[in-house]
Amino acid sequence: MTGAEVTGAALRYAGVSVGYHGTPVLTDIDLELSAGQRLALVGPNGAGKSTLIKSVLGLVPVLAGSASVLGADPVGARGRAGYVPQTDTLDADFPVSVRQVVMMGRYRRIGWWRPARAADRRAVAEALDRVGLADRAGHRFGTLSGGQRQRVLLARAIAAEPRLLLLDEPFNGVDAVSQEAIMTALRQLSGDGTALVLSTHDLGVADELADLVCLVNGRQWAVGPPAGTLTADNLRLTYGGHAVDLTDGRMMLVEP
Amino acid sequence: MIEPFTLPFMGRALIEIGLLALICGPVSVFVYARRLAFVSDALTHTVFPGVVIGFVAGGLEGLFVGALVAALLTAVVLTLLTRGNRVSDDAATAVVLTAMFSVGVVLVSRRTSYTADLTAFLFGRLLTVTPRQIAETAVVAVVVLVALLIGARALLFRTFDPAGAAAAGFRVGWLDLWLNIVVALVVVAAVRAVGTILVVALLIVPAAAARMVTDKLVAMAVVGTVLIVGAGYAGLLASWTASLRYGVALTSASSVVLLLVAAYLLLIPVRLLRTRRPGVPPAPERNSAHELVG
Repeated sequence: MTGAEVTGAALRYAGVSVGYHGTPVLTDIDLELSAGQRLALVGPNGAGKSTLIKSVLGLVPVLAGSASVLGADPVGARGRAGYVPQTDTLDADFPVSVRQVVMMGRYRRIGWWRPARAADRRAVAEALDRVGLADRAGHRFGTLSGGQRQRVLLARAIAAEPRLLLLDEPFNGVDAVSQEAIMTALRQLSGDGTALVLSTHDLGVADELADLVCLVNGRQWAVGPPAGTLTADNLRLTYGGHAVDLTDGRMMLVEP
Repeated sequence: MIEPFTLPFMGRALIEIGLLALICGPVSVFVYARRLAFVSDALTHTVFPGVVIGFVAGGLEGLFVGALVAALLTAVVLTLLTRGNRVSDDAATAVVLTAMFSVGVVLVSRRTSYTADLTAFLFGRLLTVTPRQIAETAVVAVVVLVALLIGARALLFRTFDPAGAAAAGFRVGWLDLWLNIVVALVVVAAVRAVGTILVVALLIVPAAAARMVTDKLVAMAVVGTVLIVGAGYAGLLASWTASLRYGVALTSASSVVLLLVAAYLLLIPVRLLRTRRPGVPPAPERNSAHELVG
């Protein structure tokens, strides 16, 4: 690992468009994220949040603009940024233990040949401890609740010790206990200097957790600290007719 | 119970089954976990014309080379066809399967010993396994086990979570080709002994049966291997007893496969008992619905 990785922004997008087969899904992305900062991507379903995350991971091409991930272009940085997928994309019947899932976060370090070392096993145990599931290591992944499975996937990402971590809707279908555990673990991670990007359609979560909020729907509509960004005007721009003013000055989204 | 296996041809058949069990146990676990049953079935059929061409060109020894070339070729083609988890490519796979199988049948039907040859290609000749065939199976087995051992972690990651594996820097396309080649090599190793049709049973049934008794991947591989060895031993013995004592012609490879399937059926109640035992039911989920902001 070089010194260039340690300095500079964890993530920098300037005028970026991303999409598939040359067709942009999301345009005009301008982001800058430093070590330890937490960014929430907020927008309705189909807004392009997942596509943006995948572009940072180097899995969806950047069509225009300049993109830098951990000091390299996204494809060059592939494998260095951590990723927490949505748990419902995974087969709950898969015969794999919680410990095995978390160990997957160490696979790149372990390499092809050699067996896992004590340091790897320690990292796995610590990561599980951080998400409050140390006692579940031996359980089969699929026997856990949805929220617990999401925490296991977070533990897997933690075990990889990334400097930039991307989470796709980490609070979707997650119970209150797991949501609290994930929030705590994420705060701890950013406290340690890991930059976080998480997508959510939950404005409460964005407001509570994020240093920066980026409102997207086909394009970037606003970016900045939650207080000045999650305004009624910006939300109307992002959500169109689905943003409804409530009488008490709050705002509600229908069909997020 | 041991005595029939002191005969050289019976002993060789058992050794061949043992070697195949060694690779089919672990490989079937990946076939099961990746849900590659259909791709494996396609592979066994697409190898068929290669087997025929190899046999016509070079006899029994040419058969091995023909199968090898056809298997590697179709491993590449099937990897390309099933790229990106598009399940709708089932149709394309099925077209390749039936087309190649028909080519094989056309080729073999031009021979005068049509029926005998076809039977041998489709159902194998377990009892006529030669020492040279055993040596070739052993070499393929070593290659397969080494390839599986090197790739095990990456293949497991890719199988469980393709997006996560890709994000972690693994090349999913190459891993898929890797596993397809491993499956193709197993088909090549097994094709002469058990035939192109029955080999698919060795790739699918062991892991499916083992899953009934365990949730652990390594244990599944071990149980799968043990089941094949058990079915191999019992199947050979049954076919021997049937033909010698009762004068009933019972194809040995078919007996092995039938016993393997019987083991699968017998283990279904075990699974039901295991899943019904008192455990912790999954906690009800709460959808975070507070879409409110100040």
